[in-house]
Amino acid sequence: MRTSDALAPARPFAGTFAFLWTEVLVQKNESLAMVTSMVVPGVLLVFVEILDPSLIGVALVGAILFSTFTMGQRVLNEAAYLRIDHKANDLYLAGPLTPEAYFLGMSFGILLVYLTPTVFLAVLATFVVPLSLAVGLELLALATLVWFSAASIGYIFSTFFRDNRAIWAYSSLFFNVFGVLAPVFYPIGLFPAALRPVVLLMPPSAAAALLQSAIGAATLSSGEVALASVGLVVETVALVVLAIWWARRTVRAD
Amino acid sequence: MNGEALRSVDLRKTYESRGAPRVEALRGVSMEVHRGERVALLGRNGAGKTTFLKIASTLLRPSSGSVEVFGVDVTRAPEKARPYIAVVPQEGKPFFHLTPREQVYTYLRARGFARETAKSRTQDALARMGLDGFADRLSITLSGGQRQRTMVATVIATEAPLLFLDEPTIGMDPFARREVWSSLRDLTQKGSTILLTTHYLDEAEVLSHRLYIVESGVVLSSGTAEELKRSVGGTLKVFIAEGAAQVERFRSFGTCVTDGLSLTVIVNPARLAEVMEVVERSEMTATVGPVTLEEAFLRAVGRSINED
Repeated sequence: MRTSDALAPARPFAGTFAFLWTEVLVQKNESLAMVTSMVVPGVLLVFVEILDPSLIGVALVGAILFSTFTMGQRVLNEAAYLRIDHKANDLYLAGPLTPEAYFLGMSFGILLVYLTPTVFLAVLATFVVPLSLAVGLELLALATLVWFSAASIGYIFSTFFRDNRAIWAYSSLFFNVFGVLAPVFYPIGLFPAALRPVVLLMPPSAAAALLQSAIGAATLSSGEVALASVGLVVETVALVVLAIWWARRTVRAD
Repeated sequence: MNGEALRSVDLRKTYESRGAPRVEALRGVSMEVHRGERVALLGRNGAGKTTFLKIASTLLRPSSGSVEVFGVDVTRAPEKARPYIAVVPQEGKPFFHLTPREQVYTYLRARGFARETAKSRTQDALARMGLDGFADRLSITLSGGQRQRTMVATVIATEAPLLFLDEPTIGMDPFARREVWSSLRDLTQKGSTILLTTHYLDEAEVLSHRLYIVESGVVLSSGTAEELKRSVGGTLKVFIAEGAAQVERFRSFGTCVTDGLSLTVIVNPARLAEVMEVVERSEMTATVGPVTLEEAFLRAVGRSINED
């Protein structure tokens, strides 16, 4: 009547791939959304190209990081929408799919679908920025850390909302403020020195500063490099662990 | 799997949030659901049915009391209980950009079913729910009833040992409801246990082995549909459209239930003629019919199931 594997106690992360695939199927029908994810970085790149073409390299690597960062906004919107409108949490989590698999499956599914614009930006960057293998690998590592931290923030935030209309406004505000106002698209050298430690502790601007330093577009002190890199790694690990803990915690409401 | 399919003892839930009044949703609910049974929680909106289901399905913490699913305490070890259960949530919707086939299949895969098993169960569940003709259309293009059938198909395909269905046939046409009932009967014959909430009295009566009538977080009455109907005190009901004002004249014949202006008198056939004589003398009109679950509900709760 039923397979024994379906009744076995769920292993941690069990079902991640299956839910990832579900999310890919859900998202693939919204191909226009993929294009809209290019609007903000696209507009900013055009402005930079018009106003100061010498900064286009910085803006391009910033756009790559920004596009991975805003995937967190998509995780936030999607997680909240599925929970509030579809009651997907009730359907999926009152079962053997683990909460961490639900969170990671959804996040990786969104990553897979929205990776195309990021890859497009990366390809474009190779024509503009002198990207050695080492810098390319650094870019990949930093974008990965930014994505993990953004997806975690997105999932955690999604659990606090009860109304989708509020989410769309706040999520857009949050991710655009930290991804646009902070020095992600422009050199950190243009940012007030007194506030630099603050932006070096924010995942997208910390990653951008390290990349700008790697391509010679910014000069960071060793202390600033340490602050940005250690901060980014520690924050990302902490956020992922917190998101997994929070996902488990919020399966059951109080 | 040990123990009863479900056992709750003195289950209580109080919602407390800042700026909102304190709500006692459950006030000591104790019940048992035996393996292979179909049991209905019958109650008005806000009676506590969904709260009970949410706690039993590990999605809500109780304030006190306990619920066990196959001997596993859902509060202490929810992760051990979850493989045994599947839930059709109230107002749940399939993913709009998945087809019913994709919805059911991916759900089964996420629950750990092997590809071939998931595939065959998907086909079977869609056929049972009469969704063959719509299986490959995006859910966003389906009617409300078809979406609800997709949700039920998704969950029954699991053949989980214990299924929770919160208002499973809401929005469905009568034909589709019967298809759901038939599928649920088949599932319990295969060994699954079903706990559903409904405010459709016919559904509760036709589908359930036993019923619990719930009101204001308390179980007021329980038993088979026949037992509940017998508890009303007669087998016939005399409905007098504007008889509420004359209730005292009928009390000696049997149980009287007023509902607005109307009066329903529950009597045994032997006393029907006497009741009708009083009706005639009072120059009122009455209709006579067999006692249904509606009277049992009215007697237990004091209000109609559809009254807010």
